[in-house]
Amino acid sequence: MSQSILVAVAVAYLLLLFAVAWLVERGSGRVSRLTGSSIVYTLSLAVYCSSWTFNGGVGKASQTGLDFLPIYLGPTLAFCLGPIMIRRMLRISHANRITSIADLIGARFGKSGGLAALVTIITVIGLVPYIALQLKSISVGFSALSAGFGPAQPASEPMLTDGALWAAVVLTIFAMLFGSRSISPDEHHPGMVVAVALESLLKLVCLTAIGLFVGYGLFNGFGDLFSQAATIPDIQAVFQEAPANYGYNWIAMTFLAFAAIFCLPRQFQVMVVENTDERHLDRALWLFPLYLLAINLFVLPIAIAGRIMLPVDTDPDNLVLSLPLAAGHPELALIAFLGGLSASASMVVVETTALSLMVCNDVVMPALLRIRSLGLENKPDLTRLLLWVRRLVMVVVMALGYFYMRHDSAPFALVSIGLMSFVAVAQFAPAILGGLFWRGASKAGAFAGITTGFLVWFYTLLIPSFSRSGALGEEFIAHGLFGIELLKPYALFGLEGLDPVTHSTFWTMLANIGAFFFVSLFVRQSPVERARAAMFLGVADPDEEARFWRRTALVPDLMSLTARFLGREKAVAAYASFARTRGVDPATAVQADAETVLFYERLLAGVIGAASARVLVGSIVEEESLGVDEMMRILDETSRVIEANRQLEEKSQALEAATTELKAANARLQVLDRLKDDFVVTVNHELRTPLASIRAFSEILRDNPDLPTDERLDFLRIVVTESERLTRLINQLLDLSKIEATGSMPADKASVDLAAVVRESAASMQQVFAQSRVRLAIKIDADPAFVVGDHDRLVQVVINLLGNAAKFSPPGRGKALLALRRAGEHLELSVTDNGPGIRTEDREVVFERFRQLGDTMSDKPQGAGLGLAISQRIVAQHGGRIWVEGGRDGGAVFKVRLKAAHTKATAAGRVRVPAG
Amino acid sequence: MLRRTARRDRMVGLFAAGTILLNPPILNLVGGTLFGWPALYLYLFGVWGLLIAVIGLISEGSPGQANERDKDSASR
Repeated sequence: MSQSILVAVAVAYLLLLFAVAWLVERGSGRVSRLTGSSIVYTLSLAVYCSSWTFNGGVGKASQTGLDFLPIYLGPTLAFCLGPIMIRRMLRISHANRITSIADLIGARFGKSGGLAALVTIITVIGLVPYIALQLKSISVGFSALSAGFGPAQPASEPMLTDGALWAAVVLTIFAMLFGSRSISPDEHHPGMVVAVALESLLKLVCLTAIGLFVGYGLFNGFGDLFSQAATIPDIQAVFQEAPANYGYNWIAMTFLAFAAIFCLPRQFQVMVVENTDERHLDRALWLFPLYLLAINLFVLPIAIAGRIMLPVDTDPDNLVLSLPLAAGHPELALIAFLGGLSASASMVVVETTALSLMVCNDVVMPALLRIRSLGLENKPDLTRLLLWVRRLVMVVVMALGYFYMRHDSAPFALVSIGLMSFVAVAQFAPAILGGLFWRGASKAGAFAGITTGFLVWFYTLLIPSFSRSGALGEEFIAHGLFGIELLKPYALFGLEGLDPVTHSTFWTMLANIGAFFFVSLFVRQSPVERARAAMFLGVADPDEEARFWRRTALVPDLMSLTARFLGREKAVAAYASFARTRGVDPATAVQADAETVLFYERLLAGVIGAASARVLVGSIVEEESLGVDEMMRILDETSRVIEANRQLEEKSQALEAATTELKAANARLQVLDRLKDDFVVTVNHELRTPLASIRAFSEILRDNPDLPTDERLDFLRIVVTESERLTRLINQLLDLSKIEATGSMPADKASVDLAAVVRESAASMQQVFAQSRVRLAIKIDADPAFVVGDHDRLVQVVINLLGNAAKFSPPGRGKALLALRRAGEHLELSVTDNGPGIRTEDREVVFERFRQLGDTMSDKPQGAGLGLAISQRIVAQHGGRIWVEGGRDGGAVFKVRLKAAHTKATAAGRVRVPAG
Repeated sequence: MLRRTARRDRMVGLFAAGTILLNPPILNLVGGTLFGWPALYLYLFGVWGLLIAVIGLISEGSPGQANERDKDSASR
């Protein structure tokens, strides 16, 4: 492909990024609305996938199989802890206007400027190789595309035709324009973020396109690809056999990636500093891992295809480009190149922006402010100085990366350079996690841990990387420092058998965590540190900080100080909104209290870092220093209040739960009460009706002694019938109340033969059926049929049901059937009649007390309406179920199902069944 | 308060499960091929996808569900 087309495409692409970023920054149109979306936030997090993913991941996969994956599994695991770890980082950083990883560590350990500077310097040293790696990948891709394909040697080209140089220049300009456009206390760069999100989208699309092309263009689907791979022994050896070779290195890489997701400056920048809404994190918690999964889905297939189709000496880091080229699809190679370019570009831009912030705030500005002869204290406007320092730092960092790449990186694969940087930044993980979750973590401990960890990294990874490339000689690696075997950098103290990165990870972490813990345990924290620790652990409210330092100053002094770094306009606007929230008139307030001083300090911290802000504000405030005792008293008091608050909240929740329970119980009671009232009313009515008629007829008989005999007999018969009905009603009521009062089975619990019960009940009802001229048939399929229960009660149930059948079947042609059969574990008793039946909607309510179907006003009630209610309770007490169904010929079928007693032996004896 | 703690605990549990399932030695138990695909490839992406799905369920679904649950237990 001709170089000019390539350059044109690359330039056009970068210009597009400029345009998008510019549109967003201008703050108009649809593009700028993107900034507040969780999708853009998630995509900007994907700046994690640099060209290392795009080219290096495939390269590594082609060499050693799946062990490129831990780099993406680690962040997924870290995001599992997101609600605890990342959210706390977000909250603390927003409350204190923390803008970088160095600031975070510095702020946690007593706003220590020294610690922040140390972190910054380590980060720069650790990340220059990483930036170099990105430039190298651009350069390699560029030369591979323009020269066809094959082993590329970018370092041999003259500098001016090196694609990486021009890429570095353009990217530096981009970073300068959008990463340090103006000074603002929250350090948001919406233009940069949207551009990065766009690039993340692009690299995902590109890699997926290549993957699909490989799967379906070069092979017949991925199954075909894998089966072809299985036929080539050395490929199969890498990808399918001997899985046990993933050992410590897999674990080490998972750990490094876990740490990198919050320790890398660019990740901290996009994840914490650029976050505009905490809720975006909820979405990103799963969407970001999903992105990582998606972008890695095709890495292995592409790598295998590369191994199958390309000559052995192809640069593995170039597979993504070489495959489409070899297949005769230069346009796909161009897409692949663009994907790689965007991966590199976004990483480089964000990383240099983050680094420039750190270096400017934590190294350069504190140093400049200390040099009295510069007279910075008297300069009215320092914003331009700040901006230019940052831009200069960007240029320097990029230049360092570029020269490292030209000098050093040729013999390394992309992944091993990247991992070296990962180990370097992982040195901050113990201090950050310890700082966030361990109150005892002290500044001295953090210093010791980071320093020793860094020194071990320097010795076991960085120096050997120089000597590998010829700067120090092989002697050092082979025989150790001064020829002492125990000090061999890749086998320290004789620890052999690990690859350099795993080896270094182990020793650095051992030294780092060990030093961090032991020094923290044995060196006392200063009061300031303890206060900060309380704040970081969420024990104390960030705004409580004002109480620890009773500092006062004059508002104009603070204002002019802030205006010098932030610009007068922004400083005035920020103070005005702060004053409004506190109900102070910004125009007249002169004396600044502790809270106002704290506000100004945080405002400044957002611009020049916590440590410098503290020094600057400290120079103009009057500090009434608190004694250690007093400070500790306040701190303890605060934590006690917070603890008490928490307990109170828990108690009130418990109380609320109890209240709702009580309410529910009360509602139940009210229902029961109403039912009882209904019951009393109905009983009253039911008792009065027969009484009234008995009384009425008795009075007639008394007052009319000369009634004809026939009539007299009629009346007397009515009186007797009504009396019987009354007796029956009272008996039933007594039964019901007895059953309901005890709530348990009556005393008799013996084994009862249902078949006998059926025969007995049928016999005693014979007369009734004969009177109502209904034919009763009996069908017993289970004989004997033992259940546990009360014989008399069960007879009562059957008689009740039979009585109903007799009552409702039409006289003359009425037919009733009493059947008993076995149904699995149960015995089922059914009484079928051919009466009018029961409507579906009534089938539940017939078992309620005094429920008589039909119109009670016109029909003469044919019973008290208690029979079924009593039957139901008896059956329930026997642990059974009674219900009614529609019969085949329109009648009703009442069914009772009782549990059969297991064996005759247990059934025969008297068995105690738990009550209830 | 209770809800937030429960959600956090679940995420920590998920972290532990993920760490164990996606690292050696459990990882090394998977080998050979499945339907012609490398079994380890399927295993890693399968477990990974599952992990993401559960994170999604916990972090997106839980506030609403928890509210409903609260209501349920109140009415009971």
